Amino acid sequence: MSHDSHHAPVACKTELAPERSDLGLYRPDRATGWTDWLTTVDHKKIGIMYGAFAMMYFLIGGVEALAIRTQLARPDNDFVTARMYNQLFTMHGTTMIFLGVMPLSAAFFNFLVPLQVGARDVAFPRLNAFSLWTFVFGAFVLNASWLFEFGHLAGWFDSFAWHKALVYTDFAPANGWFSYAPLSGTFGANGQALRFTGVGTDFWIIGIQILGVASLAASFNFICTIINMRAKGMTMMRLPVFTWMTLVTSVLIILAFPAITVALIELMFDRAFGANFFNPSAGGQPVLWQHLFWIFGHPEVYILVLPAMGIVSEVLPTFTGKSLFGYPIIVFSGAVIGFLGFAVWSHHMFTTGLGPVPTAAFSLLTMAIAVPTGVKIFNWLGTIWGGRIRFTPPMVLALGFIWMFMCGGFSGVMHSSAPADSQQQDSYFVIAHFHYVLLGGVLLGLMAGLYFWFPKIFGRMPNAPVAYLGSALVILGFNLAFGPMHYLGLAGQPRRTHTYHAGNGWETWNFVATIGAYVLGIGVVIVFGNLVWTAFRGKKCGNDPWDGRTLEWSLPSPVPEYNFAQAPVVASRDAYFEHKHGAKKIGAENDGGEAGVHMPSQSWMPMLASAGFLFIGFGMPMMAMGIPHAGWLVITGLGVLFLGIWLWALEGPGGYMLKTPAPSGAPAPAETVAH
Amino acid sequence: MSDHAAAHEAPTSTGIDHKKLIMWLFLASDCMFFGTLISTHLLYRKLFPAGFTDAEGHQRFIQDLFSIELTSFSTFILLMSSFLMALAVSAMHKGQLKSFRRNVLGVIIFGLIFLGCQVFEFTHFYHKGLTIQNSVLGSTFYVLTGTHGTHVAIGVLWLILLYFYSFTGKLGGHMGALDVEVAGLYWHFVDIVWIIIFTAVYLVEYLGPYGIWGSGLPAVVK
Repeated sequence: MSHDSHHAPVACKTELAPERSDLGLYRPDRATGWTDWLTTVDHKKIGIMYGAFAMMYFLIGGVEALAIRTQLARPDNDFVTARMYNQLFTMHGTTMIFLGVMPLSAAFFNFLVPLQVGARDVAFPRLNAFSLWTFVFGAFVLNASWLFEFGHLAGWFDSFAWHKALVYTDFAPANGWFSYAPLSGTFGANGQALRFTGVGTDFWIIGIQILGVASLAASFNFICTIINMRAKGMTMMRLPVFTWMTLVTSVLIILAFPAITVALIELMFDRAFGANFFNPSAGGQPVLWQHLFWIFGHPEVYILVLPAMGIVSEVLPTFTGKSLFGYPIIVFSGAVIGFLGFAVWSHHMFTTGLGPVPTAAFSLLTMAIAVPTGVKIFNWLGTIWGGRIRFTPPMVLALGFIWMFMCGGFSGVMHSSAPADSQQQDSYFVIAHFHYVLLGGVLLGLMAGLYFWFPKIFGRMPNAPVAYLGSALVILGFNLAFGPMHYLGLAGQPRRTHTYHAGNGWETWNFVATIGAYVLGIGVVIVFGNLVWTAFRGKKCGNDPWDGRTLEWSLPSPVPEYNFAQAPVVASRDAYFEHKHGAKKIGAENDGGEAGVHMPSQSWMPMLASAGFLFIGFGMPMMAMGIPHAGWLVITGLGVLFLGIWLWALEGPGGYMLKTPAPSGAPAPAETVAH
Repeated sequence: MSDHAAAHEAPTSTGIDHKKLIMWLFLASDCMFFGTLISTHLLYRKLFPAGFTDAEGHQRFIQDLFSIELTSFSTFILLMSSFLMALAVSAMHKGQLKSFRRNVLGVIIFGLIFLGCQVFEFTHFYHKGLTIQNSVLGSTFYVLTGTHGTHVAIGVLWLILLYFYSFTGKLGGHMGALDVEVAGLYWHFVDIVWIIIFTAVYLVEYLGPYGIWGSGLPAVVK
């Protein structure tokens, strides 16, 4: 066997003998430093990298937002051109949703799910690394459109024939985050494929497609992990709520993303090969794009918000000292939200003229989905009620989540009424609504999660006064920025318009909103800056600084690479909390301690396979630009993708044995734990 | 194999192997994928039941193009390939490597015959005037059946790699049987999708005297 050298258990992986894979290539198991991070299959390191990239893209998306607000600060402003403004709001939305919120949620999924279910890693560690790198390269492709845009503005391409032949020169996406056809599509009969927009749309199509692959692969992995890798005694109804919400979110992703995948393929065929899916000149129906997009897009809203709800459901019980009020109802409501999320997509399309019956049906279903959401909020209030509340930074942010998310929910229910919605459509009222949900809701929830679990991730405690200051500025600036937009929208200000004339009565509140946006920006920088400082310089803290309730708090901080020295056996919900406060609820499985813990081998192959997407991602838009021979980039990319997967399959699962320190205070054997 | 194998075969919470579970999840996702593509085709068939206009400006019906005999033949071949795939999986479970190779080679050949029929069909339709660019029908038909063909091609490639891998001696035991079974799940799924496409895209055009969309070519004229 090729793994013989790895049979003797080692105390540290750097002691391993060099290992050859089944192909005879070395595997980077003993690597440290950069190589270790690039080839890691450890869910905790992958989670940290997801988080770091997500925070970086939050800041980039934030800069785009501030440019938008600066432009709108006063009437008839010319801070940016209309052309640039279109690109800014498109990339702002796309960045925040696909490169900010989703990967930050994925960071929590990665770090927490195996710890919370009592597993040593995810079901497919290398696939997990593949998801990460595919996300990283997809995000890079999307943002590379800015590099082309700046090159264009600087005049670098002016002498090239392909550049002179371009009709439209918006190199960054400029259609809005939902890229409605026919604006994003083509017109003209018989394969002329005349376009309304520049190659930014092609960057958007291929970028979102690549990010979709990353999300799908990650979701398959997490569902497998949650369903199949639970510790003994960890029944489904003992799972922490965060893990439950991860499961619902992952199911939503695998069922909703195919719709956008197909829509993107169809749009790509329209633009690249002259097909007629959305081409009105040839009978294509642009409204089909809207349906396909929102069949994905509405579940996407719940994909964004459910993880944050899960986080809040973990934070509130910890800082009130009570178990979560109505656990089964919260879980069930989450599942119902996921289910109903597929039945409300057309409420984004009331103004397209669906006819009275569908409009009434989608109105009703939209109102119905407010019920499980309200149930959750009442359960959270029930959790706080009568509790001994500790106002730590995560608790403050979680309370902010409930409050702000409720405001967003109220304006959301207003939209469910089709006649009211047709007044509010495409106005700033909608902007106000979804920023209350996505920023006041999701971002505050995710920040609460960051402050809650950072001591577990790095073993260091964030600076509390700075955290309070940052949170206060975020909540204050956020309300200052988006509260007035309710009024502006009802007063008629349209969204996606790069400027407005004086005299409409919009000047004051636009100026206030811009001030609020800057306050919010400063707050976010303080909140994130505090976290970065914590990771490197924060004060060291114990393993369980918050008096936590779930399994991850029973582990050392930072968590060792094997997670659990002995596989845990769990006897109740909130097992760790009950365990340390009296009742014996956690045991240890006797899983052959002498041989050590089986660790998966590290690998370059996931990253190699993902790199194929990098070539494809650059090749497709460059083909659309008319750059000669760009098609070879796409073919190279497909080759690299195949090569990566092939070598991955042939290198074998590998693995080595790691000795764990002798368990202190010898946990009870499984048999003695009461189930 | 000792402890490495033991670690990989550790009992799961549900008793279902990870690999099998993740393939089922992928297939659930793929259902939505093909569902969206088939819906697109059917929506446009209902909107534009008349077919398309060829390069000479003649109105053409979809029944002008279809050779239902050929497609029935390729459908039959694909169905039989699923039968062989089931035999290959069964052989692998019993550890009969030679029988596995024989059957999987059959699946590969049948898959290639199906792809050959599709290539012939596409060329034939193209020469009869249906292109991806000249009509919505062309766009939806070629993209839907082409996507299915891509799935078959990936399956054929996968099985070819498994076939050659079986000569290295590393394909065996529980994990080897699992790998083959997972490939089998994929193959059967792709086959089932074709049955649905064959019904929804081809057969319904022959229902009633004018096709299910009401304005096709009368069967007698053809």
